[in-house]
Amino acid sequence: MHGRLKVKTTAEQQEAKRKEREKKMKLYNAATSKIFQKRQGQEYDQEALELTAQILSANSDFYTLWNYRKEIFLAFKEKSTEDELHKLFEDELSFLEACLKGNPKSYGCWEHRCFVMLTMPCPDWDRELMLCNKYLEYDERNFHCWDYRRFVVKRAQVTPEAEFEFTTSKISSNFSNYSSWHYRSKLLPLIHPDPKHPGGVKDDVLIKEFELAQNAFFTDPNDQSAWFYHRWLLGRAEKQLAIDCVYVSRELRRVMVRLSKPAKIGADLSLQVSLDGVQCTGEWTTPANSNDHSLLWLFNLTAPLDGNEHKVMVAMEGSSRSCTLKDGDEKASSVDEVKPGTLFSYQLSAATSDTLTQELDACQQLYELEPDNKWVLLTIMLLMRAIDPLKYLKETLEHIDTIIKVDPCRTNYYKDLRSKFLIENAIEEQGLSAKSVDLSNRELTTLRHTEYMCTAERIDLSNNKLSSLPGCESFQCVKELELKGNQLKSCEKMECLPLLEDLSLTDNSISTMEGLRPLTLCSKLKKLNIMGNPLCEQDDFVEELRNMLPSLDTLIT
Amino acid sequence: MGTPVKDVELKDSAPQNLLLDKHVAYIEAYSAKKDEYEYVMTEYLRMSGIYWGLTVMDLMGSLDRMSREEVLDFVKGCQHECGGFGASIGHDPHLLYTLSAVQILSLYDGVSSVNVEKIIEFVSSLQQPDGSFYGDKWGEVDTRFSFCAVACLALLKKIDAINVDKAVNYVLSCMNFDGGFGCRPGSESHSGQIYCCVGMLSILNRLHHVQADMLGWWLCERQLPSGGLNGRPEKLPDVCYSWWVLASLKIIGRLHWIDRDKLVRFILACQDEETGGFADRPGDMVDPFHTLFGIAGLSLLGERQIRGVNPVFCMPEDVIKRIGVSMQLL
Ligand SMILES: [Zn+2]
Repeated sequence: MHGRLKVKTTAEQQEAKRKEREKKMKLYNAATSKIFQKRQGQEYDQEALELTAQILSANSDFYTLWNYRKEIFLAFKEKSTEDELHKLFEDELSFLEACLKGNPKSYGCWEHRCFVMLTMPCPDWDRELMLCNKYLEYDERNFHCWDYRRFVVKRAQVTPEAEFEFTTSKISSNFSNYSSWHYRSKLLPLIHPDPKHPGGVKDDVLIKEFELAQNAFFTDPNDQSAWFYHRWLLGRAEKQLAIDCVYVSRELRRVMVRLSKPAKIGADLSLQVSLDGVQCTGEWTTPANSNDHSLLWLFNLTAPLDGNEHKVMVAMEGSSRSCTLKDGDEKASSVDEVKPGTLFSYQLSAATSDTLTQELDACQQLYELEPDNKWVLLTIMLLMRAIDPLKYLKETLEHIDTIIKVDPCRTNYYKDLRSKFLIENAIEEQGLSAKSVDLSNRELTTLRHTEYMCTAERIDLSNNKLSSLPGCESFQCVKELELKGNQLKSCEKMECLPLLEDLSLTDNSISTMEGLRPLTLCSKLKKLNIMGNPLCEQDDFVEELRNMLPSLDTLIT
Repeated sequence: MGTPVKDVELKDSAPQNLLLDKHVAYIEAYSAKKDEYEYVMTEYLRMSGIYWGLTVMDLMGSLDRMSREEVLDFVKGCQHECGGFGASIGHDPHLLYTLSAVQILSLYDGVSSVNVEKIIEFVSSLQQPDGSFYGDKWGEVDTRFSFCAVACLALLKKIDAINVDKAVNYVLSCMNFDGGFGCRPGSESHSGQIYCCVGMLSILNRLHHVQADMLGWWLCERQLPSGGLNGRPEKLPDVCYSWWVLASLKIIGRLHWIDRDKLVRFILACQDEETGGFADRPGDMVDPFHTLFGIAGLSLLGERQIRGVNPVFCMPEDVIKRIGVSMQLL
């Protein structure tokens, strides 16, 4: 079905082709019905091998016939001498080689070769390895062959070191070989595991790999393989599961917890809540009430919290966090402030800062030579983020503008990336316990890290380019939500905001009453501004809206 | 030294409008010519072929042109005693064709006409201690089969027949440095495989394991200057990847990261104006497989003449709604 060029043919040629096909089809039909008949009769003989070979050599995806051949070989194994068997299996390997020549991407052929090798007496694994070398010379990206190679390597007891050498030689003959880079990423952590980070690679080895990747992209700056590999080398630190934040609300009788990474309470961990030293029973839910893996979890206390001081402690295996609700206070929270510029660097920071700085220098040099190369630009931005996101913000944003110009296809990717950068910086600058978060006027196209705004009471997202609010269910403490001047079509997920009192949707794209329906579940909503939405042009919408949201004090249209 | 980008050039003469009527006629004719060479030679995947044909007809609002009775009889005839389905009458049972059979039955609301208990037994019996799935009793393992198993059971509303945690862990062990997924642990990322793994995690509500920004970046880098998408770096664009890449992007909430208009232009250029149908690339021979994925891709891209397609099951959205299968989309 792939790569068959349509060629114009004359009526004469067509007729000739039709005749030829008719002949082939007759043979095919005769052979297949004979084969099925023989299989029915459990005839496991040479004739069956010949008949199935006829069909499979032209039609190697006919899986049922491979299965029949397997049955035949298993039957032969019972009744033949060692020499006979050896010849049979050797012939099968040659037959498969011929099939693979015609269809090197046939799942059926490769799978059957695995079967033969596992079934035959004294298989020659070294020869198979040579065969893989040969095939990969012919097509270095055939993933079937790479997978078969890994199958062989396991049995031929080839060391990961030797395979690593193989990828080095492949890459040095052609840098643009994604399959080899991929294989390296699997072998490196096996050969040089980093004792400090599971799945990571030792520092000194990393530096050599950085050099290799640099070599590749200095040679051909447009070759994506080396850039993807480089991105991987930069790495991503795996966080330990911990309780990052605890928040208590007297009024809602609720405890909220933010974890360091998404988890499912009950499945991945158990969390205990105790109130004044007494363990509480209750259910954990997520803000969107999905009970899936989440960073944020809510726990409803069954007993009311009177006006006195209370101490809430949340504990998991190996970590706990407490929070004291003072006499008369409505809420309290406990969160560690992080050194500005480091909160999100885990996303890109397996390497040491020296290495990162060296990499940035190298990429800056390449940038001088190749100012319009998107891979260089993107890598520079990521390195800057990893080193010091606050210091480099201005340059990062300039690079985003450039990259959108040189790679317009992926404009929306870069815009979302920019939004992510800006949100990360805002959180870093405004602090994790900010009561008011200002994200206005930033041309945001999407939201990220909303969980870090879970204790904010006022969130200003006005004058951005948001057409939806992914993750807004995390705004669990928000009372005032300013969304003026965006492109929102609905209030999706706002039903999850229990404290919302004042919502401005001025100048958005809400055109239906349905789009506002989630607000019916916001029991505290008093003030709503929907001026400048298409909905406002409908007759009677004010009355309808008043009916739908009867507890509103102020409705601005 | 520079590596030339592998891509195709779209000719100005290439079709620019959607030729729906021609595609309907093409699929209808294809299914009618049962003794033609092409048809006979693809018998080993007949069940999937029927699923492609019926689904694309349903997406084009023309399912009524196909013969429900004839199809259901055929499907029933392909079920084996073990519960699994073969690609055709007398062909061996396999997960690939069992999923296609269940999809066809779901499309026609005819699941009750076969032995459902046995299907569930067949599918769950193929799960291995490490959570992976065999495709059939011969023991080939592939993350495609993990998707087939989970999708099958989801359509039959019987997900708990397998060990879900283990199934998830196996698929996660096939995750790669680029955020993508391969066939087995150690295998290179491939868009088709990514679709299977991301789809499977979506059905099982475990998308938080996916590095969505990383994977989304890799996926949107599949778009080439022609607008078409390839399945892996340094490969040619192909219409079937407009489905696998797009559906994966849709599932992880990043469909807008590619250039929609350019991709639409590429897909439309793969139509055959004479015969109807879509080819893998402009100027190649058409087939039902690429016709489905061309149409389904256009549906995801918002083409209003085509009915909404579900990104996980590649079936009409209203069929999935009717069955009541839920899934996670980021
Ligand atoms: Zn294709």
